[in-house]
Amino acid sequence: MKQEFTLEIVSDNNFSILNRIVNVLNRRRVRIKKLIAQENAEDFTRGSAILLVYTTADLMEKVKHQLEKLIEVEHANYFEGSHKYYTFSENNSKRQVA
Amino acid sequence: MGALLTKTEPKSPGEQQAAKKITGSEILLRSLIAEKVQTIFGYPGGAIMPVYDALYYFQKELKHILVRHEQGAIHAAQGFARVSGKPGVVFATSGPGATNLVTGLADALIDSTPLVCITGQVFAHLLGTDAFQETDVVNTTIPVTKWNVQVTEAKDIAPAVAKAFYIATTGRPGPVLIDITKNAQNELLQESEYKPCTSVRTYKPTPAIQYDQVEAAAELINKAKRPYLLVGQGVLLSGATKELIAFIEKSGIPVASTLLGLGAFPSDHPNYVGFLGMHGNYGPNLNTNECDVLIGIGMRFDDRVTGNVNRYAKQAKIIHIDIDKAEINKVVPADIAIHADAKEALHALIGYTNANKHEDWLQSFHKLNQVEYEKVTHKELNHPQAELKMGEVINHLSKLTNGEAIVVTDVGQHQMTTSRYYKYKNPRTNVTSGGAGTMGFALPAALGAKLAMPETEVIAVIGDGGYQMTIQELGTIMQYEIPVKIMVLNNSFLGMVRQWQQLFHDKRYSCTEMANPDFIKIAEAYNIPARKVEKREDLQNVIKEMLGAKTSFFVEVVVGKEDNVFPMVPAGGCVSDCMLEAPAI
Repeated sequence: MKQEFTLEIVSDNNFSILNRIVNVLNRRRVRIKKLIAQENAEDFTRGSAILLVYTTADLMEKVKHQLEKLIEVEHANYFEGSHKYYTFSENNSKRQVA
Repeated sequence: MGALLTKTEPKSPGEQQAAKKITGSEILLRSLIAEKVQTIFGYPGGAIMPVYDALYYFQKELKHILVRHEQGAIHAAQGFARVSGKPGVVFATSGPGATNLVTGLADALIDSTPLVCITGQVFAHLLGTDAFQETDVVNTTIPVTKWNVQVTEAKDIAPAVAKAFYIATTGRPGPVLIDITKNAQNELLQESEYKPCTSVRTYKPTPAIQYDQVEAAAELINKAKRPYLLVGQGVLLSGATKELIAFIEKSGIPVASTLLGLGAFPSDHPNYVGFLGMHGNYGPNLNTNECDVLIGIGMRFDDRVTGNVNRYAKQAKIIHIDIDKAEINKVVPADIAIHADAKEALHALIGYTNANKHEDWLQSFHKLNQVEYEKVTHKELNHPQAELKMGEVINHLSKLTNGEAIVVTDVGQHQMTTSRYYKYKNPRTNVTSGGAGTMGFALPAALGAKLAMPETEVIAVIGDGGYQMTIQELGTIMQYEIPVKIMVLNNSFLGMVRQWQQLFHDKRYSCTEMANPDFIKIAEAYNIPARKVEKREDLQNVIKEMLGAKTSFFVEVVVGKEDNVFPMVPAGGCVSDCMLEAPAI
């Protein structure tokens, strides 16, 4: 059964990293509902992305390992539902306003 | 693909010495030499001309093989890498030069072949402007490389090369690509010492073995009545043949091989039960659904091995050993997963495994294979029809080379026949395009393999369709006098597609029959001695003549037009549905 997952990816930051991540999801036809990607404020050579995706639990687990196979990706974690995504998104906007 | 030389083109090393600066191109070549590269397969063009200009001064250290098409370069590098275990190196220019590598990159990625590809790119200030021969190579090749990077400054060239070699050769090997803009190739920089890469922060190629998993696997194996091991290319890549033999001789487990695993376990070993998959042997396929413990090592449960995965080994406990974590639970859920290098895992497993024989179970494979022998193999090798059968050709080739040649196959019926009838005895002697199924692979891969292993007989076995996809590489074989042997099994059809059309599409032979040229004249035009075999009585003598030749040699064998490869697991069927002959209509 498909459901929402919040997918968090921590990686090195370079010109192609977002494309690499999205490629893995596209290849598996995982629907991306929302996405925030940013370089690390303290170190621009690192970055992270948080995505709200819609897929099955089985595919989410498989995609996690395929994302972690990317050389630049340090780790990928996922959480059921959208709560984590919106919490992150809210904190992120507050940080930007501040 | 030429381009005008610019005022910033490099001078000879001697001229530059005064300034003690060298170009990015020279840094690249010195980095390759530091990585012990001796052979490069490539094709020049405008955006990589500075590198080729620098190469002019490094001809003693670096042998460049000028192929006839970039696809030929990358397949040659694959052949080189597969037999030697060293990464293959490729040069190509921007735009079409780079995009012509894409098929080979995809092939190398799925078949875990270490490659380092260098592509030239337009000047950095022209990126994104649709400049002449500009293609977005990094984004084009992301899905078909293990890693890639674009370099726009000379200072980044050596670190990129170091990282590329490290990534290509560690963990599950694969192809990497470095795209270097022309300004970076021309830029002058102070020479500095090359530093090999020994780690990448976000990349952990060597997983720490989990001994609790090893113990759990051994417990399953020790309790099993019908354990069965499937060996894949991971065992070859890990150099674990000795450990596998030791493990099997202690545990008494029957062993079958995937297509790319052929040669990882000796075919004349009493525990070897055959080849797996869609055209694999009867015993290995049927007994997959009879075993109680199934051990997959260095293999990825490809759909050509499993057939219908919903009816695959459901009765068995699965132990999956692989260095690539993403492969575990990807297709077949594992009861015990050992995320490890094959050699290390086998080494650990031996200590925990009890000695056993499993004679009756082993015998059950041989009984099924005997059924296959009577219904398929015997007929293939002793057929009354006048036309030659592919199986008998490969059987003679196997006997006359004692199973010790490097045999490079293309894709299709001849490939499956060779995998069935050539008795590979040694590791790294089977070179074929497995996961990608790339027609046109064999001829260039064979010339690359021969350059890597000049003392070993290298024979390309190809169908008439695939041969014509990269036939231009006969020019490379001629120019460098590469003594590779070429055997084309000609049925004037795209045979495997025709077989499917016959069996599953009511014999509607849609666009599969081929009108072929005179292959003998073509070979002779390239100064390659050539023979055509149409009669059974000539076959062995011509093979002997081919094997005796000190030069390259071409043999065309005319085989039955509508012969099929059996056994066959039909599309959508499961391993138990393995057919020994075409179903009666």
